[in-house]
Amino acid sequence: MSDRPVAAPPENTSAEPSTAAAPRRTRFSARDLLNVALFAVLYFVIVFAIAMLGIVSPLVMLLTLPLSVIAAGIPYMLFLTRVRHAGMAALFGLVIGLLFLVTGHPWISTLVTVAAALAAEAALRLGRYRSRWAAIWAHALFSLWFIGPMVPLLLDRAAYLDSPGMRAMGPEYVEAFDRTVSVTVLWAYSGSTLVCGLLGGLLGAFLLKKHFTKAGLA
Amino acid sequence: MSAPALAEVAAPATAVRSPGLDPRTKALLVIAASAAVMGPGGLRFVPAALALAVGLALWERAWARAASLTAAAAAMWAVGWLLPEWWANPVTAVASLACAYLIRFTAAAGVGMHLIATTTPTALGFALRAWNTPRPVAVTLAVMLRFFPVVAAEAAAVLDAMRLRGLAGVGGFLRHPLLSVERFTVPLIAASLRASEDLSAAAVLRGFGSPRTPTALHPPRFGPADAVLVLGTAALAAAALLLPQPLT
Repeated sequence: MSDRPVAAPPENTSAEPSTAAAPRRTRFSARDLLNVALFAVLYFVIVFAIAMLGIVSPLVMLLTLPLSVIAAGIPYMLFLTRVRHAGMAALFGLVIGLLFLVTGHPWISTLVTVAAALAAEAALRLGRYRSRWAAIWAHALFSLWFIGPMVPLLLDRAAYLDSPGMRAMGPEYVEAFDRTVSVTVLWAYSGSTLVCGLLGGLLGAFLLKKHFTKAGLA
Repeated sequence: MSAPALAEVAAPATAVRSPGLDPRTKALLVIAASAAVMGPGGLRFVPAALALAVGLALWERAWARAASLTAAAAAMWAVGWLLPEWWANPVTAVASLACAYLIRFTAAAGVGMHLIATTTPTALGFALRAWNTPRPVAVTLAVMLRFFPVVAAEAAAVLDAMRLRGLAGVGGFLRHPLLSVERFTVPLIAASLRASEDLSAAAVLRGFGSPRTPTALHPPRFGPADAVLVLGTAALAAAALLLPQPLT
């Protein structure tokens, strides 16, 4: 944004000059909150639009799920160009987590999202909110929220393995399935999420240069 | 000047308050539904949560939402519970496991859809403020509710434009996934940013981000409708605990 200060101190606000003297100091300016809100909605819509394409078939889902992690890097990286102080990435994670709760995600997914956002915030802080590589890693770490929706499958494993389709296959099949789809698979899933998140961060950084910087949006 | 007096004077002119549920009740219902349905042994509560979600949709006369929720739940029940009885194989077994999860998701989402569909950004903001939610969180969530239709309209417009150019097909998406993602997301983000500029300017002009606490025209209040809903939910929860489980 052209009206965004280049190196604003945390309390500086472009939209509310009077707050600097106000007794109640606000960390987030009006512009910061509007940016978090808009990019959170964009992030949610993009991830869901792409993930939902996979609902037609589980095979397509194998493609769309990692692709939605990668595509998420585009709005997230653009959002991070507007982050100049602590708390915005964490707030982003919190509101996205609450949005997930409203859209049917398990409540534990909200907690995982907030934890991932705090990890992203830590990565950004290490880069002093200016580093491109810190932003790419922040996206990779934030992408770990994708583990959240899978957690109930582990916590309530016995109930899921007792679903009618599994019962119909007999106890040997269930036992073999239980052995195959183990915690190791979850680690592999987490690892691939991190890699896709990293790729998403790189794609986002590339598209920033290709489109958004030229258009004056980054 | 007292805010309630102002609200009373203004109320007859603007009184289109639909059933009068407090947004806080709706938010608590969402949390309760998610905790009950997604927790261990949550399948027991799925019919009750679905009944609640469909009941809320009918109460709001959102016929399409009621019908789609019922259809989605019925489809998941058919694939997850009926199909494996007739045709047991590894594919239906995995599909059944997925449906056992997705039916919980549908039940929880149904209750959440009611919150999103019936709450205005202002009402949500004041309800969160009444809970002493930190200002950044309350304001951001309320603004998100305002931005949702804007971004959804832009997404639909981008998809239409892609369709016109023959770029929106599944085949093209599978052949060039990254290119398709770029073609969808870049115009969506650019158009949404442009559309949000006006909204943001209007919001700032109306005092958004000001450290002063605004006065609510309709302050959130728990009313008889909330009591009815809480009693109904309690009855559904009791039925889920006491009656035999249809989904096992």
